[in-house]
Amino acid sequence: MANEIYTITLAVNSDDYQLEVEAQWTLADVLREKLGLTGTKTMCNEGGCGACTVLIDQKPVLSCLTLALECEGKNILTIEGMADPATGELHPIQTAFVEHSGMQCGVCTPGMILTAKALLNDNPNPTEAEVREALAGNICRCGNYKRIVECVLAAAEMMRGGNWNA
Amino acid sequence: MPEEFSILGKRLPRKEAIEKVKGEAQFVPDIQLPGMLYARLLRSPHAHARIVSIDTSKAEALPGVKAVLTHRNVPKVHPRRKLEYLLDETVHCAGEEVAAVAAVTKEIAEEALNLIDVEYEILPAVFDAEEAMKPGAPLAHIDYGSNIYHGTDLQPVPRCRPDGWLPVEIGDVEKGFTDADYIVEGTYETPMQYHCSPMPRSVICQWTGDKLTCWVDTQVVTRVWQDMAQCLSMPQSDVRLIATYPVGGYGGKEPERTAPLIALLARKADRPVKIVFSREEDAIGTHRRLSYKCYEKIGVKKDGAITAIYQKMITNFGRDSTWPMFILACSAVGTCSMLYPCPNSKWEGCTVITNTPSHAAFNGFGDPEAGFCLERIIDEAAERIDMDPVEFRLKNCMRYGTRGLGLRQILGLADTGDSGSKELDWGIVGRDIDSLQECIKKAAEKSQWQQKWKGWKTPVAVNGPRRRGIGIAIGIHHSAYHLSSAVVRMNQDGTANVMSSFVEMGQGFGTAVAQVVAEVLGLRYEDVGVLLADTAATPPGMGNVGSGGTSSGIAAAKYAAEDAKQKLFSIAAERLKVKPDELEAKNRRIYVKQRPAIGIPIAEACLAGYQVTGTAVNPQPESIIDEKTGKVIHSYAIAATIAEVEVDTETGMMDVVRITTAHDCGKAINPTIIENQIDLSVTMANGWVRSENYIIDQSTGVVINPNMLDYKIMTILDMPKSDDLQEILVESPCAWGPFGAKGMSETAMTTQAPALANALYNATGVRIRGDHLTPERILEALGKS
Repeated sequence: MANEIYTITLAVNSDDYQLEVEAQWTLADVLREKLGLTGTKTMCNEGGCGACTVLIDQKPVLSCLTLALECEGKNILTIEGMADPATGELHPIQTAFVEHSGMQCGVCTPGMILTAKALLNDNPNPTEAEVREALAGNICRCGNYKRIVECVLAAAEMMRGGNWNA
Repeated sequence: MPEEFSILGKRLPRKEAIEKVKGEAQFVPDIQLPGMLYARLLRSPHAHARIVSIDTSKAEALPGVKAVLTHRNVPKVHPRRKLEYLLDETVHCAGEEVAAVAAVTKEIAEEALNLIDVEYEILPAVFDAEEAMKPGAPLAHIDYGSNIYHGTDLQPVPRCRPDGWLPVEIGDVEKGFTDADYIVEGTYETPMQYHCSPMPRSVICQWTGDKLTCWVDTQVVTRVWQDMAQCLSMPQSDVRLIATYPVGGYGGKEPERTAPLIALLARKADRPVKIVFSREEDAIGTHRRLSYKCYEKIGVKKDGAITAIYQKMITNFGRDSTWPMFILACSAVGTCSMLYPCPNSKWEGCTVITNTPSHAAFNGFGDPEAGFCLERIIDEAAERIDMDPVEFRLKNCMRYGTRGLGLRQILGLADTGDSGSKELDWGIVGRDIDSLQECIKKAAEKSQWQQKWKGWKTPVAVNGPRRRGIGIAIGIHHSAYHLSSAVVRMNQDGTANVMSSFVEMGQGFGTAVAQVVAEVLGLRYEDVGVLLADTAATPPGMGNVGSGGTSSGIAAAKYAAEDAKQKLFSIAAERLKVKPDELEAKNRRIYVKQRPAIGIPIAEACLAGYQVTGTAVNPQPESIIDEKTGKVIHSYAIAATIAEVEVDTETGMMDVVRITTAHDCGKAINPTIIENQIDLSVTMANGWVRSENYIIDQSTGVVINPNMLDYKIMTILDMPKSDDLQEILVESPCAWGPFGAKGMSETAMTTQAPALANALYNATGVRIRGDHLTPERILEALGKS
């Protein structure tokens, strides 16, 4: 028996997409498979790793545990929307991850960057302990935590010095 | 005078960094092809059973199902496995593959699995290694005839005794114990571990005519490519394998049956087929680390001299392996032989087949397991004679010119593509081994050992129930020189592309290989493009195993770059009217060494040559001979770790306060990436003994925590804060590594667990000889559970 189809509008990275979705489809699946935004990674698909984190109305959310239907009318930011849309310039958090080797295999990286963005939106001048607290739900199997903290602190400094909008 | 480098040793950003921070790096699950089907695998609920009948008619009739495979319609071949076929009539572990389905959606494929009727005849099963060794124990593999692995017709293990035990001995171990003033002995255990790669196993296969293209998330491209061709009875020329960005393999992304099965499904359905394992099936259906049980006995003199070492090891093999016996053998020739040379040494080990998931290489390949056992008893030996454990290690650790236990060849390594060198002697090491003492001294200095160590049975600090302790461990892991090759192609604008079948899976290969090639050719880092792991273009290589990325893959690339440079020099020499050996390449120019003003841009030589390509095969045996003995030798990357822990003796909670690791990497091609790799091993080893627990139910053989909520990886809060996770790089060049560099990625995995256990002892006065250092085990050891 075919499942019921719903038509929704998703605002992703400032673009509106009209989509037909089934009720049980997760935001992660829709982003990856319907919109081709494969920068959002899924590591465990059950809320155990933080890799699929995206921002919904600026708050970090696990897209593997969020139904696409719930996201109607909300602003979704994925890793593809982090760089400046006009110039293509990397966001300072991305720049910091490049310069301070914030990734190894790279699967946790998009989720780390988006979680860090949510932190820095709320707290532009975090301590190391606050960075660690904010990233506690993001698993890095490559154990790169030390560098990741360094990246977030460096990005915070860059952002405080520049005119980056939240 | 030290050599001056332009690019080598610089902390340059990773080649793939921008792709990864933008979410553009394409991993296998990210690839979508037109008309692609989705595959799911039916897995056995039973740990050991014979398939009496299997009826797939209802599944095949489900609309949307395009192909179904079972053991009855796949070729009877071994995909590198030693004991099992692609799909077997008998299943040997809960979670083993029984059937494969391809359908137009994942949901339909999943539904089809439920429509397959399988009748199993349940067979007796065995899960524990020692249980499996008892007379009358059920056979885990009925056809194999024994639970102790002793090789197969395809891969004999000539050194095995008829009972399956592998022995190695030098001197007279009994005499060594007679000469000892004291003997310490004990039985130690190490746990299994699930690789838990961030990306579960994924494969896509597409046929165009008779040709097959596969995107496989693997770290050993050439081996999988060979296996695919062999399983499908195809020429390698018609199979193309691409592994652009495999994901953190840690050893586990080795050949297994998924890729050939997906290729067969795609052929049957005549459409591209993709599979991405769920986390659960990745946890039960791929591989895991061997567990060890080791009896250790050491004889020691009052002055600290070790007179005898006896080590006996039993490992749980699981249902099969891609490296049967190799990991155990590497424990023997690595840590057990080479950390503490002793004239009277004996080692014996066996590996026991059970009805549990198969084992594979896993970060450290036998050395973390051996090290976790040996470095705990070494501490007990030091305590027995009341010697500072740092001093005891400095006194006894391997030095250049000393012989280890290791034999010439413990196994026939030829089929692995190892150089299989005739004269390779695992018992001899090069001059670079003396970094062991340097690492110990540097770690001790940085961690303030002298100030903190207050003697045996005296914690660093006591604050009510909280006790702080400090402990040391040292470790080695070989830096492999496997067969590998590389091509360096010069482009018309003077840039270069290096091509290699080694992969970039996070360990920094793509960056380091570009730095080495740029250094050799006198180019800028950004002038070197990297093309990896696409068999349509990249030449064969052993792949990223045995920390061989640097010592094998990059070594080959360096020789290939030198070959290209020689060709460029011949072209330039003709133009400049000099001899090629008068030339030098730097800053994108080729010029006369004595008269630097006379030269041409590299681009001009490239254009003149039109097609300039350097190639090389590594190893080059003449470069790996020990100067003193004339023997072909191995090289080892070294680490020394000092851990400081604080234990709450009421709750058993252990905080890891500080970890200092001094690490020999031969030559740091990119120090940042080396520090990344040390952090990886430090974190993974902490998880191995502190939080990760791969639990197999001992009555059913079912893994009961195959998910990332119950299988606990270290989080950012579990690890010491940044200033307290210290990496110290030591450079003790290896005679045959590229610019002296060694493969170093795995050694730090060997030292963490024993350093933590030894620090825990210093804090609490209780020794844990078991496999985990969890709060439960700590309370149990304190008699408070």
